[in-house]
Amino acid sequence: MTKMKRRTFVGLAAATTTALSMPSIAFGALPRVVVIGGGAGGATAAKYIAKDSKGAIDVTLVEASKRYYTCFFSNLYLGDFRAYGSIGHNYYGLAVNHGVNMVHEWALSVNNAAKKVNLGSGESISYDKLVISPGIDLKFESVNGYSAEAQSKMPHAWKSGTQVQLLKNQVKGMKKGGTFVMVPPPNPYRCPPGPYERVSMIAHQFKKSNPTAKIVILDPKNKFSKQGLFMEGWQKHYPGMIEWISAETHGGIKKINAATMEFETDLDTFKADAASVVPAQRAGRIAMNAGVNNGDWCPIVPASMQAQADENIYVLGDASIAKSMPKSGFSANSQAKVAANHIRGSLTGSKVFTPRFANTCWSLVATNDGIKVGANYKATDEKIDKTSGFISKTGEDSNLRKATYEESIGWYSGITSDMFS
Amino acid sequence: MKSKSILLLIFLCFFLTNKLYAEQNQLVGADADYGEHLFGECVTCHNSTGLGQGIPKITGMKTSHFITKILAYKTKEKENAVMQMVAERLGEEEINSLALYLSKLK
Repeated sequence: MTKMKRRTFVGLAAATTTALSMPSIAFGALPRVVVIGGGAGGATAAKYIAKDSKGAIDVTLVEASKRYYTCFFSNLYLGDFRAYGSIGHNYYGLAVNHGVNMVHEWALSVNNAAKKVNLGSGESISYDKLVISPGIDLKFESVNGYSAEAQSKMPHAWKSGTQVQLLKNQVKGMKKGGTFVMVPPPNPYRCPPGPYERVSMIAHQFKKSNPTAKIVILDPKNKFSKQGLFMEGWQKHYPGMIEWISAETHGGIKKINAATMEFETDLDTFKADAASVVPAQRAGRIAMNAGVNNGDWCPIVPASMQAQADENIYVLGDASIAKSMPKSGFSANSQAKVAANHIRGSLTGSKVFTPRFANTCWSLVATNDGIKVGANYKATDEKIDKTSGFISKTGEDSNLRKATYEESIGWYSGITSDMFS
Repeated sequence: MKSKSILLLIFLCFFLTNKLYAEQNQLVGADADYGEHLFGECVTCHNSTGLGQGIPKITGMKTSHFITKILAYKTKEKENAVMQMVAERLGEEEINSLALYLSKLK
């Protein structure tokens, strides 16, 4: 390396460092990406756009919380397999390592024509490309008698955070020999195996400290994710404790009463001592405000994750209809990388690779008894099509189940590091 | 003394360049940018900071070691449903691009 070249190199390095540490306001000429929502979709998208563009794109992440508690692994907190603090993460890594501008505010509305996001503070941010990854909103009214007020008596705990702490307290405080009622949501919803992993973790708690307790699942569905595996595990680890009642059998939940803790169905009226009700879901409100939804969810272009309704907006994760991908943190992370590559290509002319999607969902049934389901996907004109997949088998040996559980811990460490550092 | 150091430096540079050249030549169709992009799939599970609890560390893996392992998953000689699924859709270009990118990571 000649002296001349070395000097040039040092100069460039200094310029890059300065550019990354400068506030966004100085980037007048840089293309701007605004990301709404700092979960598995949004945090990943913000990171990869900033990281891979190496300062050529100004990235702002709008997320109200300064500390984000993951929904995935919140069930393991319920089962005492994780401490609450271990599922909380901050955004310092995105800001410091990748130069993402963090704005901890609510995104109130989107002005598609002016390409602006209006914030709770009254200020607005302009964008060239907008990523919307708000997760879900709950349709409380979908269960007759459930409401925002009833959520403290019968926590949904479907957005992680304090609701999960509340649910855990109620599980631990339930009277000896009492009945816990779980109402899973109808399809489609965030984390298809989640309600059944939750039941497993609550059963694990009861087995330790309240072994005569019962769990009744009043399902609005007639089948569920990893059903054979969960049923086998419940029989093995918690015999006689869990009763799953399908929609066909109970005939539908007619009404619930949060004051008396009663669940009225055609079959019977069930009285609970503690309960969790997870209502139907829809895309987060900001997606509706941006007009990129069709009904409850947002249709996307499979090859890029662009909203079908607005080519300057990308919708990731649970809020999108990414058929046939399930609504999971892994899916959102995978979709975010496809979108980030496409956004960078359209703003800077960088190479856009053929989109590749994948998902794997691990669930814990009992101590060292992990199960998993996963698939690869490719984009077609109509949908994100499954190309291959796998699922754990019933009757697997305990060493494999233990390895699957340990793998899930490795995955949690991997994906959260991928999202936040 | 000084000239010896310079000679050593030149030799080292020559050796490293040659080694890299040889490795690249064996990796048909390898593209480090594509490798970096594909690596995004790996780090959803394999912690990029190198922690290996439950899932092994892959950063700093030797090129030949990486290729051997991926091929073993592809032919299902090596067990693990997730890795078999990952390897299944990796063609020669993808495997070589990933190998090239991984070899450049510390």
